[in-house]
Amino acid sequence: MSGHELDCRDLSVSPGDSPVLRGLSLTVPAGSRTALVGPSGAGKTTLLRAISGLQDIDAGEVRLGGEPIHARAVHRRGIAVVFQEPRLLPHIDVQDNVALALRAAGVGRRERRRTAAAQLEEVGLGGLADRRVQGLSGGEQQRVALARALCANPRLLLLDEPLTALDPSRRAALRRVIVELQQQRRLTTVIVTHDRSEAAELGQRIALMLEGLIVQHGEPRTLFERPVSAAVARFFGVSNLIPSGAETLAIRPEHVRLEREGGRRGIVVEAVYAGDHVRVVVECGGQRLRAHVPPPDAPRVGEQIGVILPSEHVWPLPAATSRPEVTGSSAAPRVTL
Amino acid sequence: MAALLASAPLLALVVRAFADEWRAPALVPQQLGLRGVQIAFSGSSAEAFGNSLLVAVATAMVALVLAWPAARVLGERRLRHPAPVFLLLAMPLLVPSYAVGTGLTEWFIRLGLDGTLPALVAGHLTFVLPYVVLVLLSGFGPRLTALEEVARVNGLSPFRRLLWVTLPAAAPTVGASALIGFLVSWSDYGTSLALGGGRPMLPVVLLPFVGADPQVAATLALLFLAPAVGVLAAATRAGRMPL
Repeated sequence: MSGHELDCRDLSVSPGDSPVLRGLSLTVPAGSRTALVGPSGAGKTTLLRAISGLQDIDAGEVRLGGEPIHARAVHRRGIAVVFQEPRLLPHIDVQDNVALALRAAGVGRRERRRTAAAQLEEVGLGGLADRRVQGLSGGEQQRVALARALCANPRLLLLDEPLTALDPSRRAALRRVIVELQQQRRLTTVIVTHDRSEAAELGQRIALMLEGLIVQHGEPRTLFERPVSAAVARFFGVSNLIPSGAETLAIRPEHVRLEREGGRRGIVVEAVYAGDHVRVVVECGGQRLRAHVPPPDAPRVGEQIGVILPSEHVWPLPAATSRPEVTGSSAAPRVTL
Repeated sequence: MAALLASAPLLALVVRAFADEWRAPALVPQQLGLRGVQIAFSGSSAEAFGNSLLVAVATAMVALVLAWPAARVLGERRLRHPAPVFLLLAMPLLVPSYAVGTGLTEWFIRLGLDGTLPALVAGHLTFVLPYVVLVLLSGFGPRLTALEEVARVNGLSPFRRLLWVTLPAAAPTVGASALIGFLVSWSDYGTSLALGGGRPMLPVVLLPFVGADPQVAATLALLFLAPAVGVLAAATRAGRMPL
């Protein structure tokens, strides 16, 4: 089945009296996958609840496939939600959980069981149809929840941090299942996560949400390498924000090169082994620059080293939104590069 | 072992009920028989049993229906200031039930309802309702709301949501509150005496025998315990059902 375009316009939502969404707009093209990221409290879950109808909106509209749906009852929107916790119904077995939406739609028992079994097969739980939900592991329960959402044959799939409760290996496995099934069905999908790397793997596009607004929405690479503001840069780990005249230059730490000879000379003040790389901080002309280098090449603290900022990786932040500041503890005196 | 110890007084009650002759200092009765049963059932106790059962079941059911919305609001912490509500709920428990009963009797006489089953149910409700609300509200809260949200996004209409999700998920709590409602009503003496208007109720019939004829009192006490034990057993089974 093909998806429907999701279009949120000027959404304002104030659960419990304080505004959480402040005129938010977001468009997710039909059949595509957008990862919604942002720090805790940005309003990601509130946005999903507003789209699905679990949260009333104060202003704005939600359209799905061109139709306004924000006035419809939750159970008539055709939107499936996978929550952070599996939320399986404890009094019925796995396949009845999966087929819940089919039962609501009046599908006969035999047909329901057949569809649920096929759906369970797709999420990799073929043999568990008759099991009670209590005996399942956390990962299995979340797969059942995913199967339940897909079984509803929704027009839009919303996933609210579906992987948070899982350990890393199960996370990776379920991530693959989500991406594969979304691609097969071309289902318009929004996946909330607070992890930027997970967002890059899960989303064809990433939308970053800060304080109730989408501040940037685009392909993962754009957000990681071409952030529109210092806040976006910081969220995506662009830890070098270098004031330069009226503008701020941004460069990712993994793009900063350290050379024994040449470059801008500086002193290594910190070198922390982080498994697949060493995080190095170089004090350079009163400016602290961060670099991620492979462990074999890592300099020692106190060593003099040359810093090279390859020009193709240096990105000037659009002036209007950038504030000249550098992450980290040291105050940044102005330098011209 | 603990269960055995706990049931020891109950065992003594059984022996006492069937001891036609049991003079001190003998440890076991000299003669067993059914004198107690005969006397207990010759009076109005059968009718009292029926009345008490009917009133207790009706009270528990009505209390559940009335308590549901209140428990829902309290359990989901939707009230900004729940303390006054709890205080109001607890008020009837602070007053002896006979006092509540006599207060109500006057009204019911004016209304021509004294001595009727609805009057007894209404009287019992005053102090059954708080217990039922307090037990029931523990079943409501984020866990149940979360499941109801699942029902909503899966296309279940409000009625089906109640039937397929809310009631089954809340069943253990509903069972427990029905049980406590039943037991509180079943064992009430004061209101039944005040409002009964001569209609026999089991606790009222039981009391005069306690000093006068221990054997009849023991028999009636067993009769009195029977439905309570039955309901308790049923509730335990329901509670053990995996949810």
